[in-house]
Amino acid sequence: MEIEELQAAWLQMSKDLNQQKKLTNDIILNMTQEKYKNKFRNVTTYETVGAFICFCIALLLIVKFGELDTWYLKACGIFSLSYLIVLPILVLRALKEIKTLDISKNSYKANLSHYLKAKNWLLRLQQIGMGVGILGMFFIVPVFSKISSNKNIFEIGLKTEQVVLLTITVVVTIGFCTWAYKGYQRLTQSAQELLKDLE
Amino acid sequence: MSKETVFTDLIREHQALLYKVTSVYTDNNQDQEDLFQEVVYQLWKYFDSFRRDSKITTWMYRVAMNTAITHLKKKERRPNVMPIAEVLIKQSDAKDEVYEERLRLLYKHLQHLNTLDKGLIFLLLEGKSYNEIALITGLQPSNVGTRISRIKKKLKTNMTNS
Repeated sequence: MEIEELQAAWLQMSKDLNQQKKLTNDIILNMTQEKYKNKFRNVTTYETVGAFICFCIALLLIVKFGELDTWYLKACGIFSLSYLIVLPILVLRALKEIKTLDISKNSYKANLSHYLKAKNWLLRLQQIGMGVGILGMFFIVPVFSKISSNKNIFEIGLKTEQVVLLTITVVVTIGFCTWAYKGYQRLTQSAQELLKDLE
Repeated sequence: MSKETVFTDLIREHQALLYKVTSVYTDNNQDQEDLFQEVVYQLWKYFDSFRRDSKITTWMYRVAMNTAITHLKKKERRPNVMPIAEVLIKQSDAKDEVYEERLRLLYKHLQHLNTLDKGLIFLLLEGKSYNEIALITGLQPSNVGTRISRIKKKLKTNMTNS
């Protein structure tokens, strides 16, 4: 099969399509009303809801921060606050950056390059988020144990079943994160290759 | 004539162009429909900003292809499913098996190209000159030529191996 034969097939298809005028004025005007589902907006909505939940938890932590009565619980509290506030903001900013393409004026190359860079940054953030999330369990759990039931788990320790549960959670989370990390790596690598090709 | 009338006439006149762009960047009917609507929406949104210093179709190609860059596929893991080609064939009156097979092959090979190569080869298939392709993509005309030869070689190798 030669490329010219494929081009001939494309030309034939173009002719066939040109003869079909299926769209009516009503259908077209309906499409201009933004009623349909835009998947990027959906992602942003999920991330915004996620960020809102994080901010609410952070607010609760700020209100109850005084209950963290030792220096190490306070340190855990500060780490938890940073994780709950900084990461969602960075993710939302990265999503906003992805969407700021000048579709009408910028060239395909310029937009593709901008999109790949912004997407790579978002993927990196998600990778960082997963890594920090695993570590996060070790400082978020003591903080919430203290502010919810006034128990300092550094002093009283954990019951055997709690240790088992925490170990299982950590192992499952590490497994999931490793799998997700490999997926992200593949995505960022192909984007990087295309970026290099563009530049 | 109202803006709406001018716009709807434009879309009706060039709907084949939009069908083709959206078919190249998607691999199933639902995705194509979503992208088609998104493209029409973006064309409407930027309709006032169109300056008549280029052909309207050049501007439409640019908006459509730029919109396709950020379009998220619903099913990323189905690169070999080509129902779009089938839909297009069904839409046409042609029952020629050779023609149908060529279209299927064409879509199959297009889906394996990266976003940049896909855009370039699409414009070539549309009969655009290197200068027009350069205008839409922002690449230098000489660079367009080099890249297209490379993509053709890649396609040829893929076709020989498949």
